[in-house]
Amino acid sequence: MRLPVVDLTRTPRGPFRPDFWRSPLRGPWLTALLGLVLMIGTPIVVVTGLISNAAYQPLLAGNSIGTNLSPLDLYVFTWPTRPVWLYALTEGLHVTIGLALFPVLLVKLWSVFPRLFEWPPVRSPAHALERLSVALLVGSALFEFVSGIVVMQFYYPFPFFFTAAHYYGAWVFIAAFGAHVLLKFGTMRRGLRTRGDVMEAAGASPGPTSLAAVSPGPVTMSRRVLLGTVGAGSLLLLLQGAGGSIGGPFRFLSFFGPHGYTGSGPLDFPVTETAAAAQITPASVGAAWRLDVVGTRSLQFSREQLLAMPQHTYDLPIACTEGWSTTQRWTGVRLRDLAALAGVNESATVTSSTVQTDLNGGYVVTLGSEQVADELSLLALRVNGVDLSLDHGYPARVISPAVPGTHCHKWVSKLAFSPVLT
Amino acid sequence: MTRRFRSSYGAGPLHLLVLIACFALAGAGVIGWAHVDLPGIVAWLIAVMLLYELVLFPLSSALDRAVFSRARSEAAAGPGDQAAAPPRRRGWFIGLRAVPYVRVPAMLSGLLLITFFPLILRAPHSSFHSYTGLSDHVYFARWLAATGVLYGLSGLAYAFSVWRARGTIERLHSKPGKR
Repeated sequence: MRLPVVDLTRTPRGPFRPDFWRSPLRGPWLTALLGLVLMIGTPIVVVTGLISNAAYQPLLAGNSIGTNLSPLDLYVFTWPTRPVWLYALTEGLHVTIGLALFPVLLVKLWSVFPRLFEWPPVRSPAHALERLSVALLVGSALFEFVSGIVVMQFYYPFPFFFTAAHYYGAWVFIAAFGAHVLLKFGTMRRGLRTRGDVMEAAGASPGPTSLAAVSPGPVTMSRRVLLGTVGAGSLLLLLQGAGGSIGGPFRFLSFFGPHGYTGSGPLDFPVTETAAAAQITPASVGAAWRLDVVGTRSLQFSREQLLAMPQHTYDLPIACTEGWSTTQRWTGVRLRDLAALAGVNESATVTSSTVQTDLNGGYVVTLGSEQVADELSLLALRVNGVDLSLDHGYPARVISPAVPGTHCHKWVSKLAFSPVLT
Repeated sequence: MTRRFRSSYGAGPLHLLVLIACFALAGAGVIGWAHVDLPGIVAWLIAVMLLYELVLFPLSSALDRAVFSRARSEAAAGPGDQAAAPPRRRGWFIGLRAVPYVRVPAMLSGLLLITFFPLILRAPHSSFHSYTGLSDHVYFARWLAATGVLYGLSGLAYAFSVWRARGTIERLHSKPGKR
């Protein structure tokens, strides 16, 4: 029996033949221009993503996305408390610019699609290694964009922990993206100089290594219209992110975002997790609810006792990982006052747990010493002049400047202050 | 030395250096993945890649080919024929001049769909409603409405372009000397 032999010198049929690819829109100029946009835009998404991750203070207890798992768990700064909108800005940019670049990424991938089928598949060791790096680039880019976009909609179609997978995936992307920019920068510059109309560019030196079709089909739409569509798509998605991030009168622009909250009046602002989702019932936070405050001594407070303490009111944003944020007027007790009552007067972190933690093992989070020391950090009891509602964290919630929303625990049951050893 | 390296490797030494740095850093990311769920992540990554590269692209391309087949043959026939014999509209085939006005809103609507499909199609096991307390029944209607608005705007633009083209032709006919 004779085994079929793959003859690498003979190009197989179908997409491996250069004349299979007919679109007259593909060409070096289009790819270079889209590449330029991604080269400028993607670093904004990467840097704001890394900063937003640092805002979680992953080295503090309970905050870990997996510390000491990889050499990349390296955090060089602690998280500041000013400006108060810092996290709202970094996460808003991360989500908004990421959304806006998604159509650019898709059309860029489409423009180089024939390259996936180039023949022979490997021309030299250099070519093989570079194709491997491009596979990492395309894979990690789609992974990062698609996972981020679906999670933004509270959809988790995967078995793994999103935050950690997205964080380490970012490093795979950074590596492959950096190499691609370095290796293709010259190609991009040459591509940008080939600008011409569709016919010209399509006819310009088509060959096995050119991005332009060797035998282009008829032109039914100009390249300018394609770019205009990409721009319009970017704008459309940008509004979805920006509307939710800026909020207020602009929230309506985000018609595919969490639009508003069904509460009314002073309580009408979005939540990421309802009481029902957290399995918090009115009974579990009723008259029997007490706040445990632990320091060098342990204390217990009822809600009435907390309301009898000095109250402070501040306007602070609550900024969600999904990219939206909203500024509200919070009233409550300063965290540092509670720390002093528990006998902790020096620099300290605070680890909070919630009624949910006690019920079904929900998570604990830790805020750093900057957050505890800041006068704006509150255990809020009221919002916009009324008592917190159950969905907004009744009986008490943490609110702290520039901190991710998920670190501002609702339904708090315990605050444990730990002095920082200096 | 460099020349020998170049002929056996296929590029300069700097090329290799950049890629070694790339794989080292990417490797550190993969080590992180390994502590999360490497098989799950890699399977998901490959699934997404296949979905986009081997389903979404070919599917949209085939759809485009089917819808605009008439326009394609018109374009292939050359620009001269158009002025001589304006294309007759038959069935759902779309004439060359109308192509962008049909294709652009379809692309934007499709973009919204593939971006927000978990909300628009109310993906099973989505945590949206349980987390936010909001209804996800509104998003399909919003997507339909957005598509309607996009096609409405496009239709107006098309009507305007037809009206302008007709004006030009009439002016050319009334002043034959200017031709």
